[in-house]
Amino acid sequence: MTSSIAINQLTKSFQNIRAVNGVSFGINENEFFSLVGPSGCGKTTTLRCVAGLESADSGRISIKGNDVYASAEGTDVPTHKRSIGMVFQNYAVWPHMTVVQNVEYPLRVQGVEGRIRREQVDRMLKMLGMEQLGNRKPSQLSGGQQQRVALGRALIARPDVLLLDEPLSNLDAKLREQMRSELKRIQREIGVPILYVTHDQIEALSMSDRIAVMNNGEIHQIASPAEIYERPKTKFVLDFIGSVNYLPCNIEEATGEHVELKLVDGQRIQIPRPDYVPAGPRALLAVRPEDMTVAVSSSEEGLRMMVALRSFLGNACEYRMRASGFELLVQTDKKLLLSEGEGVRIEVGRGFLLDADAGDRADARVG
Amino acid sequence: MRAVRNLDSRSIIFLLLAIFVVVVIVYPLVQVLIRSVWLDGRLSLENYESVFGRSRNYRAIWNSIWVSLTATMLATIIGTLAAFVVQRTDVPMKNMLRFLLILPFAIPPLFAAMGWVQLAGPVGLLSNAYKAIFDVPVVPWSIYGSAGIIFVLGITKYPFVFITVAGALQRMDASLEEAARTSGAGTIRIMRNITLPLVRPAITGGALLAFVSCIDNFGIPAVLGLRVQFHVLTTRIYEALTIPDLPLATAMSMLLVILAAGAIWLLGKFEGQAGEHAVIAGKSIRPHIISLGSARPWVTLCLLLVIGVIVVLPLFALVVTSVQPYYGAPLTAENITGSNYDAVFSMSAARRGIRNSMIIAPVAASILVVVTALLAYLNVKARYRGAKILDAIGMVPFALPGSVIGVGMILAWSNPPIGPTLYGTVWILLVAYLMRYMAYGLRSCRASLLQIHDSLEEAGSTSGANRLRTLRDITVPLMRPGMIAAWVLIFMSAFNELTVSVLIWSARNETIGVWIFLMQDSGFPGRASALAIGILPIILVMFLIMQWLSQDNVSI
Repeated sequence: MTSSIAINQLTKSFQNIRAVNGVSFGINENEFFSLVGPSGCGKTTTLRCVAGLESADSGRISIKGNDVYASAEGTDVPTHKRSIGMVFQNYAVWPHMTVVQNVEYPLRVQGVEGRIRREQVDRMLKMLGMEQLGNRKPSQLSGGQQQRVALGRALIARPDVLLLDEPLSNLDAKLREQMRSELKRIQREIGVPILYVTHDQIEALSMSDRIAVMNNGEIHQIASPAEIYERPKTKFVLDFIGSVNYLPCNIEEATGEHVELKLVDGQRIQIPRPDYVPAGPRALLAVRPEDMTVAVSSSEEGLRMMVALRSFLGNACEYRMRASGFELLVQTDKKLLLSEGEGVRIEVGRGFLLDADAGDRADARVG
Repeated sequence: MRAVRNLDSRSIIFLLLAIFVVVVIVYPLVQVLIRSVWLDGRLSLENYESVFGRSRNYRAIWNSIWVSLTATMLATIIGTLAAFVVQRTDVPMKNMLRFLLILPFAIPPLFAAMGWVQLAGPVGLLSNAYKAIFDVPVVPWSIYGSAGIIFVLGITKYPFVFITVAGALQRMDASLEEAARTSGAGTIRIMRNITLPLVRPAITGGALLAFVSCIDNFGIPAVLGLRVQFHVLTTRIYEALTIPDLPLATAMSMLLVILAAGAIWLLGKFEGQAGEHAVIAGKSIRPHIISLGSARPWVTLCLLLVIGVIVVLPLFALVVTSVQPYYGAPLTAENITGSNYDAVFSMSAARRGIRNSMIIAPVAASILVVVTALLAYLNVKARYRGAKILDAIGMVPFALPGSVIGVGMILAWSNPPIGPTLYGTVWILLVAYLMRYMAYGLRSCRASLLQIHDSLEEAGSTSGANRLRTLRDITVPLMRPGMIAAWVLIFMSAFNELTVSVLIWSARNETIGVWIFLMQDSGFPGRASALAIGILPIILVMFLIMQWLSQDNVSI
């Protein structure tokens, strides 16, 4: 399948700082593609380069097969001539225009006739559930409503790509969840490729068809949400998506199925063989809190540990478990109520192995 | 390609703006600077020696300093007390009180000086009443001289303090006071230990603005000082220019610059401090309102009385004088006449003055709004290198006393190396106003552009609008309130201008302010008052528009 949007070796510096460093990816037709990473990782700069709001230093960006930016040929199509729609983090709804005036603006710029314009705006407002609010000024709207106006304005001219810059970060938690499914619905209805930028991994995991995880101007991994979560390629991806426990260990034995490890207190543990097994013998074990199971202390299998602290999370329980020399954060079913001081056995259902010195290296190999 | 074309159009605009700033501001300023130390083709401090060599001159400097300082103290007391009462107690009709308290800001100080002569002068309304009540031939006070100048300056310049302090009180984070209350402090103690220290930077800031405005003022010391030979720098410069002794006037205006610059420098320091206090939280929590209890009607009455004396009484005196057949006539029904109005408004010279002001003020306001909007755009939005410097230069006249601008205009445009001789024409007034009020436009346009987030314009280009279209549909409409506010402020200030105009006017090229002053000065207070009352409606309408534009935002 050909990409709707293709970005190739994009580079952009600000005062000697490489904000974007050789970034390449493609977005397929009607795909929801997310750039996710911590603030300052270069995701917003990448998005702004696609929009033409930022001029890249080198690389190539094409939309629907046409170059909008190519450093080799000196192409740089100005923003207003790129067929894009964009929703800004602060919505950027024009305060001096009504809802209708905001939404119809791209059509007015194109010189679309008034009657047709009116029709299309009505249809758009209906889809956004805002038929009644057409004559309101933005100051009379809630944050969620302003966001819909911004979305309507970005979509009304049928752009080749929809660019979303952390559009949900200013909404409260409930509204954010609602808007997430709303966005997916609207995308299905309209059929447009989306480039979505966020620092919120939950947002990225729940909405995206594919995710690119970025750090320090570079993409660490591009994959489906499930794969990003299940099979992270680098320590950074593992860290950024979800939480992780790190335990120093020695690799005792590695077979095709399992790896046997010895922890600092001498306890041995067997985990299913991960994608990457360091040469060893010293290594670092990474385990997600939800990848462990807790059994009563009479069980023969698993690590012997003690409950140090219990936190009730509502939909789950989180325990800080202690053994001599290390601690583990373990998440369990909320029905499993353990008391502090209780002895337990912990089995690791899935873990990742890293080189022993991977502690400070974000790009250390995981998979 | 696009970048190059944009660069070109921006560079052309920048170049035009740079020429404007150099011609209007830099050139006259450099003239003052150089001519003050340049005599007969060589570097010399003789001009300054002649300032300090004659007691008449150096006494004027000293008078300027101590009169302005004392008047500033009076203004600070009135302004601060009024701000506390209006903002922090439960006095009724707050919006009306606030409006009346800011009103002196709009009325030319010359009017106030004339009004007070007509109230408390030898045959003034109050003086006559006093003489009748106590049956004495003369009153035991004189409105002429330092005391009168200080009094009238104080009651016309307090709005500077009132506006800044009221603003600080309004923006103050209520939790700071609540924290003191929960610590067990009572209302008086909180005021003394928390509130007052927190608004002190605002008080100082307002006081320094008032000081600069006192030093700058010509109308009040001219009306109340000239006839008793009490001189301040501005009136001395006026006198020196009537001789004319241009080198002396130049040296004295440089001294005025130093005084004002010192005050502005202090202001900068205090504004820096104000930033260190985290007073302005931008929250909408209303600070605690003190209940006045049984004292409420008395405090209200007191405040209304003060407003009556400060604002209403002098205007009332002007009205009375304007309808009297001769100054000091007994107040009877038969003595009401429209003869002053007839005389003034049938005088072709006065009509010409009105016409000049009615043309120059709006033209200056329009030119400046366009120029400063462009400059602010280049500086804030286009981030054009160099625009920042032009902006800084444009702000300089904000700190320059009007007399300096007047002297600079004479030096620059009497016999310029290139271009027309503007001195002796009406255009020199226009150029002077452009110099004097550029800062007003810059402040307003810059502030309104800073409020427009970049993404609002970016949303225009992602919607398919090119740069010009984005400017037209988004930036300019969003800037419009700031531009209108700047226009009205500049129009009003230029319309009321006297300090500069009185130095650079020439026959056939007078302004309203100049005419009112000349009539008052040459012994026609009735006609001067009639002209003043005649243009008052224009000033009040402009002031109402300004208030309406800023809604209840308390700011200058």
